[in-house]
Amino acid sequence: MKIPIHVSEESREPIYHQVETQIKTLIASGQLLPGTPLPSIRALAGDVGCSVITTRRVYQNLENAGFIKTVQGKGTFVREIENVRKEETRQKVVYEAFEKAVEQGMQLGCTEEELGTIFQESIKKYYKNGG
Amino acid sequence: MQTLLVEVEGLTKKYKKFTLGPLHFQVERGVVIGLVGENGSGKSTLFRLLMNLLKEDDGHILMFGQKITEDDWKQKIGYAGELLEAYDFLTIMEMKKLISRWYQDWDEEMFVNLVKRYKIDISQKFSKCSKGTKKKVEFIFALCHHPELLLLDEPTAGVDLVSQRKMKEDMIHFMDDGEKSIVLATHTVDEINQLCDEIIVLDGGRIVHTYNKDEIYDHWARVWVSDVTEPIRQHPNVIYYNTIPLQIVTDNLEILEVALEKEQININQVQRLSMEEVLEYLIEGNES
Repeated sequence: MKIPIHVSEESREPIYHQVETQIKTLIASGQLLPGTPLPSIRALAGDVGCSVITTRRVYQNLENAGFIKTVQGKGTFVREIENVRKEETRQKVVYEAFEKAVEQGMQLGCTEEELGTIFQESIKKYYKNGG
Repeated sequence: MQTLLVEVEGLTKKYKKFTLGPLHFQVERGVVIGLVGENGSGKSTLFRLLMNLLKEDDGHILMFGQKITEDDWKQKIGYAGELLEAYDFLTIMEMKKLISRWYQDWDEEMFVNLVKRYKIDISQKFSKCSKGTKKKVEFIFALCHHPELLLLDEPTAGVDLVSQRKMKEDMIHFMDDGEKSIVLATHTVDEINQLCDEIIVLDGGRIVHTYNKDEIYDHWARVWVSDVTEPIRQHPNVIYYNTIPLQIVTDNLEILEVALEKEQININQVQRLSMEEVLEYLIEGNES
């Protein structure tokens, strides 16, 4: 029951937030389908390398937001999420990723035009090679 | 339900050349505590005191909220230290007969499964077992009476890689219901990363640090900077600095950032530290 979670060493984002976003992304993108069992709080902490305090918080947040449900004695499972929510999450994740890139560009002293050009070129590079 | 499984207050044990303590700490239900420190820092002595195999000179220990005068609390503890050496003329089968009789909740099926899982030949004399096999046998005996608290003194030292992974899995499984606890003395960074929630650093018989593991991730960092001034060198949250290239290791990034701003120093890059690096700073840092 391993799920692909990676905590970045470079990121200033707290670990719980990174893990939460990544699980949301996996669910919204359909990589984790409704009904899929998730690792226990303890096992996920082991995989990520954080404490159970952090993973407990992640599961609580995800449960409150309707992404997962915990069945007493059985474990934690991915919930069916409505398409609207799925789309919202998808957009939010992509926006956040772009914003992070812009922030980094600004730190390095890029101008608005420069970033725009880089953005266009990057898109071309990926979509020309067949997506 | 009792939420504190172990409470240690002012615990002290004096030897001619070494004093352990005074130690204060607690073990909460549902938590894995990693006990780290150099060889001879007092980890095994602490376990023996907790198990009442040694008598403390001062302070006291509460197990499951009670004083450890009677022995019935040991039913709820699984200890893997060097307890079996005294009976090493027995085979593992004979040891099992001796040990299982003592525990009310002994689980024979679990023992059979674990022996198979770790490929132990129970007809072998304990004294004839390799170091790693002895460790595995101790670990199995610690688990088979369904304890609430595991005290494990370097359980994977000398154990082969596959068995190490299995032991890690078994410890995670043990912790799954969130009701039990482990105190784990270890020199293995992997175990700290994958198992521990809190870390206690022991040095020269004293607890020099206690951390929630996530605090380490969130607060410790390596920062590449434009300058290192005297006030920064002296700053209490600067653990280490190097001039080529200019970098600082801090145990509290937020506080350091404020200090750097005051000194008008720019931050070029920030990186989290690996647990391995942090532990080295924590353990070595006490020597200077």
